[in-house]
Amino acid sequence: MNPPEATLYWEDFVPGAVDEIGRYTFTQEEIIAFATQFDPQPFHTDPEASRGTFYGGLIASGWHTCAIGMRLMVQAYIGRAASAGSPGVENIRWLGPVRPGDTITYRRVILESRPSGSRPEIGLVRSRSEALNQRGEMVMTMEGWGLFRRRPAAD
Amino acid sequence: MAAAAFDFYWEDFPVGQERDMGRHRFTEEEIVAFARQYDRQRFHLDAHGASATLFGGLIASGWHTCVIAMRGMCDAYLTRSACLGSPGLDSLRWLKPVRPGDEIVFRARVLESRPSSSKPDVGLTKFLWDAVNSSGEQVLAMEGWQLFARRSAATRAGAA
Repeated sequence: MNPPEATLYWEDFVPGAVDEIGRYTFTQEEIIAFATQFDPQPFHTDPEASRGTFYGGLIASGWHTCAIGMRLMVQAYIGRAASAGSPGVENIRWLGPVRPGDTITYRRVILESRPSGSRPEIGLVRSRSEALNQRGEMVMTMEGWGLFRRRPAAD
Repeated sequence: MAAAAFDFYWEDFPVGQERDMGRHRFTEEEIVAFARQYDRQRFHLDAHGASATLFGGLIASGWHTCVIAMRGMCDAYLTRSACLGSPGLDSLRWLKPVRPGDEIVFRARVLESRPSSSKPDVGLTKFLWDAVNSSGEQVLAMEGWQLFARRSAATRAGAA
């Protein structure tokens, strides 16, 4: 059931741990391409028109910031974890704009961990994701649950 | 800002209002394409690998369902509204998997509405955006806020 390469199990996610997940530079082309497909509001798609908006220039879709966070999480650890998905996230806060050229650093803080009440082979981990720009300003935070298989007993 | 520059202002989203945000059939091809870019987990990437996972087959990334909802929202009302963005979502639940071939219906319902206490020209609206599959099962439910300019402010600006 686990990826053959799985090296991380529920037991490996320890509350209190703070880790950098990765960093990513958002380009104007990419911001526009993502938004044209999924979030075509002028302040995400049109450098000219965005100047006249509330935001005073082009900003990335908040979903784009989320999706890149997901990509980096898979690269950093979920890809080698015995992941069983996620029931959802809470308190997504888009605290500041992400603009073309911004380099965003994603960080993960493990908040709590508990075995599943109904599935003995599974454990739940609640973590907070934080995204900061190159000036150290927090641009996004969210909290979510991840499900992971528990480490199999040694043979 | 000219009067009637937008079809929808804060006043046009009263509590209890329901709005259709369209439907979308998720193909295997687009599920895999999205996952390759943003969510390279086995159960999102290929049908063969996914069959051995807990999900028993390919499922769409939850973020994929979210962004298709966002697109439906833009087309249904957001890009014709005086929207000033969103501070975030209070909750986002992936309730059931979305599988290749599933046709998903997206909807919006207004839960709360209030004027901004600090900006007289702005109002805040809390929505429930959800998505339902062809068996009537809710697959996604999101609750969050959007900010809109108030119609009164637009009218004043237009008259000035």
